[in-house]
Parts: sequence; C-alpha cells; structure tokens
Amino acid sequence: MSSAPIDRVSDDQPLWERAVPVYGFPVVNKFFLVLVAMTVLAFLLTAYRELAGLGPVSGMNDAYGWGIWKTFNVMVLTALGSGAFAVGIAAWVFRRKRLHALMRMALLTSFLAYACGLLLLGIDAGRPWNFYWMVFPWKWNMHSPLAEVAICMSIYAMIPLALENIPPVLERLWYFDSRLRPGVERLERLLHKFFPWLIAAAYLLPGMHQSSLGALMLLAGERVHPLWQTPFLPLLYLGAATFMSFGCVAGTTMLCCVVWKRAMDMEVLDEAARITSWLIFGWLGLRVLDIIFRGALGTAFHFDRFAGVFWIEVLLTSVGGWMLHRSLKSHAAREMFLGYIFSSFGGMIYRFSPTTLAFRPNPESLYFPTAVEILVSLGFISMGIAGFLLVVKRIAILPATLQEWHDMASYFRFRRPYIRWTGYFKYGHFGENEPQVKQSD
Amino acid sequence: MAITRRALISNVAKVGVPAALAVTVGTDALHAETESVPIPSIAVGLLYDASICIGCKACVAACAEANDTAPDIRGDGLHQAPSDLNDVTRNIIKLYKPDDGSPSSFVKRQCMQCLDPACAAGCPFQALHKDPETGIVTWTENKCIGCRYCTITCPYHIPRFQWQGYNPRVTKCELCSQRLEKGLQPGCTSVCPTGAVIFGPRTVLLAEAKQRIKNNPGRYYQERVYGEYDNGGTQALYLSRVPFAKLGLPELGPESVPARTLRWQRRLYQYFALPAVLYVGLVQVIRKSLAGHEQEAHQREKETGLRAQL
Repeated sequence: MSSAPIDRVSDDQPLWERAVPVYGFPVVNKFFLVLVAMTVLAFLLTAYRELAGLGPVSGMNDAYGWGIWKTFNVMVLTALGSGAFAVGIAAWVFRRKRLHALMRMALLTSFLAYACGLLLLGIDAGRPWNFYWMVFPWKWNMHSPLAEVAICMSIYAMIPLALENIPPVLERLWYFDSRLRPGVERLERLLHKFFPWLIAAAYLLPGMHQSSLGALMLLAGERVHPLWQTPFLPLLYLGAATFMSFGCVAGTTMLCCVVWKRAMDMEVLDEAARITSWLIFGWLGLRVLDIIFRGALGTAFHFDRFAGVFWIEVLLTSVGGWMLHRSLKSHAAREMFLGYIFSSFGGMIYRFSPTTLAFRPNPESLYFPTAVEILVSLGFISMGIAGFLLVVKRIAILPATLQEWHDMASYFRFRRPYIRWTGYFKYGHFGENEPQVKQSD
Repeated sequence: MAITRRALISNVAKVGVPAALAVTVGTDALHAETESVPIPSIAVGLLYDASICIGCKACVAACAEANDTAPDIRGDGLHQAPSDLNDVTRNIIKLYKPDDGSPSSFVKRQCMQCLDPACAAGCPFQALHKDPETGIVTWTENKCIGCRYCTITCPYHIPRFQWQGYNPRVTKCELCSQRLEKGLQPGCTSVCPTGAVIFGPRTVLLAEAKQRIKNNPGRYYQERVYGEYDNGGTQALYLSRVPFAKLGLPELGPESVPARTLRWQRRLYQYFALPAVLYVGLVQVIRKSLAGHEQEAHQREKETGLRAQL
C-alpha cells in the first residue's frame, strides 16, 4: 500500500495529480472586500499605535507585557502556519509521497501566516527601528530564546519559505507567454540546484524557532501554572505545531474543495489524517505523562480557571484525534474535517495558555485585549486570508484531478474567447496539446 | 519503506557520531561554566535592612532627582506617590502589613543586579547588559527593540516598559552608574537617614550583613542574607524580620533562573554544532528524495503531456 498514488489506476475515485487554479470565480466579491476593508482599518490603527505608543491602544500592562499580537498572532497562528515544516518533513524526509499533493497548499498557508505574524511582531515591538541589529550576528545574544525566535523566523520566512513558494509563480509565467519560457526554465534550473539546501533549511529553522517559542516561557518560571511549566515546553510547542499545521493544511484544502466544488482525493486525506491522529496521540501522551511525572496532576482537579482551560484543551485535542482516527475507517469527510477543527482548536488553546491563560503575574493582575488590539489582530488575519483567496484563484495551488486541468483549459478557451485575439494564452493553452498549438501558429 | 528508512537512519548515523562527540565536549565545558556564576571583579551593590527602615521615602525622591526623571504625580496630581515601580520610578518603598497583627515591614524595591540576570539572558540584542567589572545591569537605548521580554523574565518583576509615546524606554535601577563615575554614591543611599540602605562592594556588604546577624541573634528571618545565594546570588542584599516572600522576594533556590531553565536550550545550541549536523543530514536525505520525485514527475509528464509541477 505504500506505492505512490500515480501508480494506481482507478476510475471510481478522484485522484489529486495536479495543482489547478480556481477558475470561474471572481477574485473580488463581497467577502474579499470585507477582508480588504479590515486590513485597511488595521493599518490605519497601526499608524495611530506607532504615534501614541502601546498603552493607549492596548490592554497590555506592567504585569502582562505581552498582548494578543504576540501571543495569538505569532505564537498561535505561526503554529497553524507550520505546514511547510510538518507536511514537508512527512513528504520529503519520511517520503510519504501522497502528501506532495498538499505541499503547495502547505507552503502558501505557511508563508502567509508567517508574513502576517512577522509584520505584527514588528508593530508590537516598541522600538522596531533597532531591529537592524539582526544584520550583525556578533551582536546577537545567542542563548536568548527570543533572539532565536526573532532572527530565525525572519530568515526562514524571507529566504527558504519565500523561495519554496517561487515554483508556482514561475510556472504561471511559463504558461503566460512562451517568450518567457527560456528565462523561466533557466531560473527553475538554478532554483533546483539549490533546492536540497533550501528545503533542509526550511525544516531545520522552523524546528528551531517553533521549539524556542516554547522555551520563551521557561524563563518565566513559577509564573506559568505548573500544568504548563515544564522543561518539555519546547518539545510540546513543536509537537502542537506539527498536528495543528496538518489540520490547517488538510482542513483548508477540504474546505476549499467544498466551497469551489472540487473532488477530494481520500487517499491523500486519509494519509494526512492518519499521520495527524498519531501525532495527536503521541503529543497527548507526552503532555499527560509529563504532568504525572512532575506531580502536577493534582492541580488539574482544582476548581479554577487553569484546570478549566486544561480540560478544555485536552478534551478538544483528544476528541479531535479520536474523530480523525475514526474517519479513517468510516471515510466520512465531515468527521475528518471536524476532527481537524477540534484538534487544531485544542492545540491553539495550548499554545495560547503559557503566555496568557495560564500566566500568573505577581502581583495578580488582569489582561483583556482592547477593541483596537482585536481589530488589528483580525485585520492582519484578514490580510492573510485575502492573500490566500487572491493567490489560489490566480496560481496553481489547490490540488485537483487531471480532468480539472483539462476543464480549466477548455473553460478559458471557450468561455473567454477574447484571450484568443489578445494572444493572452495564445502560446500555452495551459500546456495542452503542445505540438498542435505550435503547428497552428 | 524499508529502504528509505534505512537510508534515513544511515545518513543520520554517518554524521551523528562526530556530532555526538562535538556536543558532549561542548557540554562539559558549559557545565563547568554554569555551575559557578562568575562574580564581577569589583561587584558593587546595596544592603537593605528592612528592620531599620522607617519608610520615609527620602530614597524615592532622591532616586528621581539623581536619575533626572519627572516625579510621578499621577496618583493625585500633587504628590509624588507612585503605587509601584513604573516607567519613571526606579526605586520604591512599600509596606507589608498583615491583617492579623503580626510584624509588619517596609521594603525597598529596586533592581537586584543578579549575578546571572534573567533579563540579560533573554534580551535578544544585549540591550540589557551586565557590566563585567561592576556587575551593574544597564539598559542601552539603541539596542532595545522594545519586545518587553525582560518584563516577562525578571523573577523580581523589576524592568518596566514605558507604555506611552512613540519612543518608549525600559526603566530599571542602574545603581546610578553615572553618579558612581563621578565618585558619588547612588541617590538612595546618599540620603537614607537611618542607614537602612547602604552602598559598597558586595563582599564588604555581605560581611556587614553577617556581622549584623551575629550581633542580633533572633532578629532576622532565618538568620540569612537574601541574595547571598538566592537566584545564583544578587548584588542587592536584603535583611528582614518577616519572610522574604512577603516582601516580594520569592524563594528561587540557589541556582539562577537562566541556568536552571535554559540548560537544555543552551546545550542544544552550543557552538551551533547540533543544528549544523542535523542540517547536513537533512540535505542528504532530501537530495535523494528530490531525485526520485523529479524522476517520477518527468515520467508522468511524458504520459500526460502536461508539464511537470515540481
């Protein structure tokens, strides 16, 4: 059963073989406009924040030095955006070949999550102009988890992750005009030469900074509730990122298939769900064993908010994992999707807890994000979603069947006749019948 | 799958042996380093004896004057009465008064100048830096990115961030280092009427504190100096009648917070050996899977007539 999907010959089940852009849906619709409006609003509020300082716009205070911009948009959402890391390792290092179908989705969602997170990190920083020290490695504090996160995350998003996202763009150019092809092919060859080094960096760096995000709270010591404060915090943060990002990539792909009426390849999705469920069970095992061996289990039965958060997190994660495991037998896409949703929410609560929900500053104090904070946070998320909608409708990202590609080609040939007289797709026709096209010229 | 797994394992093993050696050697060196925190050559500090302090707050006013900070009159618009350390208050006197009538005590809070400071351990670009000679932890304006990690890491909750304005600063006691250069004492010790807080080299202060404990048996809590060993040792030393934890000085144990919590983090990144080795191993594995993947894709390209998507 470990053969690649392309070896299988089957007509009764859809098979994801090719990334195909979403065609026939306009990019600009009401939802997209709302997202753009949210983004613009967020940028205006950001400008105000840069002038007024953090105090007037946020609920952060001396006790809670970090608000949701860091603890949610960076700590939680980059975990959801670790798809390029988790799915990539499964596909390239452990050679789960079926997962290659999901790779473009993983790379795009990761890039958007990291880009939006990093932008907000720069806005959250009080003195962002001093980020230029990042250029001088001898000025880094090599043993600081935060330096590790800030430097490693920026390098990762700007170099390996961005370059990994280049091939779909080059492919778009290749089909755009045949005069571009020699240049595009030269660039592709150059990129492929460095690909092993790039991909390896794209797995090492997130492995480092996703765990260092957990190490951040180690220094906070006793102020993090004992259910969360553990020497295994880096490993648990990394583990949560792996199953959450699988959930994000596979769940988003399933959602897109439903919204844009695409066929689902259950072989790929089953493979992803199987890996995710085992990641969840392994993670839960480590989490619970760690609590038991540290002797902190008693605090889980106190009647307080910490125990409540802990049980919600564990329940959501385990129910999600169990649903994913069951969906492997029942082949119910709905159950699988809900499994991803539940487990990802559980993971999000876990990643959010040590800095915020389970953080006990001394003296006791409260933090609740202000409206401005929430609007900016949502605005930056909207920017990521809007970018995603734009890109999947213009560039081949979403996996689909071979038939979908042919359908797209004929859609553009017959539904949009003007592309003939503008010569827009004159040369390529999406690669269909290459020789005939060239002869007709 | 059997072959690929074997390939993976053997590839990792090929580079794993020198890696293990490198990391072990590095770890031993580091181990010795963390066991004894180096004490700065002319470490200076404060000795605060809570049992002598009368709570006159002269030191609070003197501190603001010495550091040229505006008096914090946000409480009633008239008096300098900050409720806690904040963006203009580096030093404060607080009162611990239990409801049950047991002994109360004043406490002076300012930076402890830890021998192994957690704030500096977390600071990404060394904006908070411990002077290797005097041991004073200072904040550098043009290195701080305003991440506020120091406010999270400090176990004594000392550094405070300025929440207002486009150019925020981090405020903490720097032991009036600009006054020390001129040969003056820090603001707080120069005005203290009862000698509750005194300034001097750490060794002298420690001897003085032990002398006081010896001369007044039964007066001080646990007959010990807070800061001699706590949190790896601090340069601000405390004597008190009431438990230190009640004064906001948590019992952190003899090992410093960074040494205790970042032990594994530091070992894993020692000389960057382990990440480098992992990187080379990953490149080997990926190079092989990439070759296989490309071959399959090009074969499929011939079958379907559609350009391979790599």
